[in-house]
Amino acid sequence: MSPTPTPASVAARPLLDTRYKVETPEGIDLILRPAGVVPRALAFSIDLLIRGALLGALFAVLALLGQFGMGLGTILLFLVTWWYMVLFEVLNQGRSPGKQMMGLRVIHDDGTPIGWTASLTRNLLRFVDILPFGYTLGILSCLNHPAFKRLGDIAAGTLVVYRDNAPAAPELPQAEPIRAPFSMSLSEQRALLSFAERAQSLSSARRQELASILAEPLQVPAELAEQQIHGIARGLLGPT
Amino acid sequence: MRLTDASVAIRPRSVWEAVDLGVLLAKQHAGLLMLSWALVTVPIFALLCLLLWDYPSIAVLIFWWLKPAYERLPLYILSHALFGATPSLKQALKALLGLLKPQLLASLTWRRLSPTRSFDLPVMQLEGLSGKARSQRLIVLGQRDAGGASWLTIVGVHLEMALWFGIISFVYMLLPAQIELDWTWDSLINAASGEWLWLEHLSNLTYVLLLILWEPIYVACGFTLYLNRRTALEAWDIELVFRQLRQRLTGVAYALLLGCGLLLMQLPNSAMASDTPTATASSCPLPVEDPMGPEADRLLKQPLTSAEAQKSIGQLLDQPPFEYRETVTRWRLGEEPKEPSEEDAKALIELLEKFFKLTEFWKSVDAVALFFEVLLWVALFSLIAWLQWRYRDWLSAFAGRLRLPQVRTYQPPEQLFGLEVAPQSLPADIPGEVEKLWDEQPRAALGLLYRALLSRMLHEQRLPLKKSHTEAEVLQLVQALQQKDLSHFSQALTRHWQNLAYGHRLPPAALKQGLCNAWRRLFEQGAQA
Repeated sequence: MSPTPTPASVAARPLLDTRYKVETPEGIDLILRPAGVVPRALAFSIDLLIRGALLGALFAVLALLGQFGMGLGTILLFLVTWWYMVLFEVLNQGRSPGKQMMGLRVIHDDGTPIGWTASLTRNLLRFVDILPFGYTLGILSCLNHPAFKRLGDIAAGTLVVYRDNAPAAPELPQAEPIRAPFSMSLSEQRALLSFAERAQSLSSARRQELASILAEPLQVPAELAEQQIHGIARGLLGPT
Repeated sequence: MRLTDASVAIRPRSVWEAVDLGVLLAKQHAGLLMLSWALVTVPIFALLCLLLWDYPSIAVLIFWWLKPAYERLPLYILSHALFGATPSLKQALKALLGLLKPQLLASLTWRRLSPTRSFDLPVMQLEGLSGKARSQRLIVLGQRDAGGASWLTIVGVHLEMALWFGIISFVYMLLPAQIELDWTWDSLINAASGEWLWLEHLSNLTYVLLLILWEPIYVACGFTLYLNRRTALEAWDIELVFRQLRQRLTGVAYALLLGCGLLLMQLPNSAMASDTPTATASSCPLPVEDPMGPEADRLLKQPLTSAEAQKSIGQLLDQPPFEYRETVTRWRLGEEPKEPSEEDAKALIELLEKFFKLTEFWKSVDAVALFFEVLLWVALFSLIAWLQWRYRDWLSAFAGRLRLPQVRTYQPPEQLFGLEVAPQSLPADIPGEVEKLWDEQPRAALGLLYRALLSRMLHEQRLPLKKSHTEAEVLQLVQALQQKDLSHFSQALTRHWQNLAYGHRLPPAALKQGLCNAWRRLFEQGAQA
């Protein structure tokens, strides 16, 4: 698309990414993936619907009890409004039902599970985010923050992230395991492995095209490069 | 398009993460995107307002309907910025006219309400597809991320509404309380019917302004969804790494080739000088640095070569978290004394001579010195004396305390229970006096006897009685002497004395003789003996 790229400007700033790295004292980078405004808005809507349905059903039943029922209903309204999110977040690994459906969870900034203080803070401060109408401040803060935090998150030091699902064991194409004729860095090894893993989802022409990039360094004809890469991937994977 | 120049991290993401990346991408180029959007849309809105002043709703509806046309501009900017060639504002605005041409009618009519508008736009604008090719392409691309694009649009609609009402209510909150507002629902409905056109235009303007913020984000999110889909479909991330790997490996090959060339060029030289030791050196293989080794120069075709990286690493390691430098200043002996040279020796001798001269001079002034010495000593002593005199009160008050606590001599009290107990206050013959007084003044008689007992205890038995002791405590002290008769006598006397003194109960008459006899037996006999 662009004929004249300027490498200096690319090198000057780090690549734009949605990942958020937390370095542990042991020097390990925990990679977290903060969730932005769209999935969070959807999760909130789901929670809102669940709460609405819950309260609607409760009020319908309690209305039969007359004034006592209304009193009870008011107490329940308070509990559901203020404690629904807090209880679910703290007791259900940072997942309210809406977040659970959207694959999100709330954690502290440093990746630890959310506690009572942080959860209460971030949920009480919803009333700041709601101002002046319909989460205006929350939306603006969420759009502007690099880790998509609303004001309550900033105050409580929490982060809404995507949950990591357990990866399924990938199917690699059948090939004779071989050793790579050159040494490779970690990311290069990963690329070779994911080429083999994702072979099913790529068209054969595209596979051929990708493999032929490495034909010259592999010192094989372009047609055989794909099989060669599969073999190296098998070799990297080791016996399974 | 060169993937190596991409300014975002290319890897397959989930749908939502792709949307999030769009938010970040729009934020990175926020200035240019918002400015260009504002420059295009605000004049159009102004024009629409002027033309349709009496129909503000229609004006904003037309403005809203034309959104796909404006959206081509942010996409143009983003698609260029992605690969590092961000266009200037002028270039972008110039390009807009060319961008508007293709398929504008379709965009503004039957595709206007498509929920995947943001996702479809790159296919048309960047791939330039139309007709059947476009729809086929969309079917392929839409297999996965189109759902996300629909949700993006749905959320976007609500977001626009929320922001719109938010801004309006914010402005409403800012109205000073002094302004009397008698807006009722009636008047607001009337406003809708055309009474307050300016207010409605103002609210429409709010919508136009909030689109400046939101619409670039919306386009960017659709664009990143499209990128993400293509990344997954065409394995862009793999291609990127493969190309870098190939560049590295073939770059190494070129380096080796170059190295061999240099070696060959040098060969004739060494052949001509075959008797020099270099000949043997060149015949064996030169120690070629391992091209993959950690010290070798790598990434030579990158903007950041390994040498430069090493340099910046060194600089980083010189900075505070890694390098902790501290300046410590201490006193220590001077430099080691050098070997005394002749000059030094001469200087030393001169110095000594001068020193001797000085002492001779001092001898002559001895008398003066003595005078001053005496004067100074006198001054010192007189100062001490004066200080002692000046602070005599203070010294007597505080210096006394500095001494060791002395054993206090026991001063027997003169009075106990208000009774005189000094021996000289008592008559010589106590039992006789008691017997005399008993019948007429029993109180005085018993009191005298008790006084006498206390007096004897104090002065003969040396009991340490104090004014604060009670009668019972005195008794206890007497019992501690372990004299049976004395204890009995004291007990009886004290009981009767207490009964009389406090209870006003007279002692039995028979007691007189018993007590007097006991007294005589206890004290006078002992005294006689």
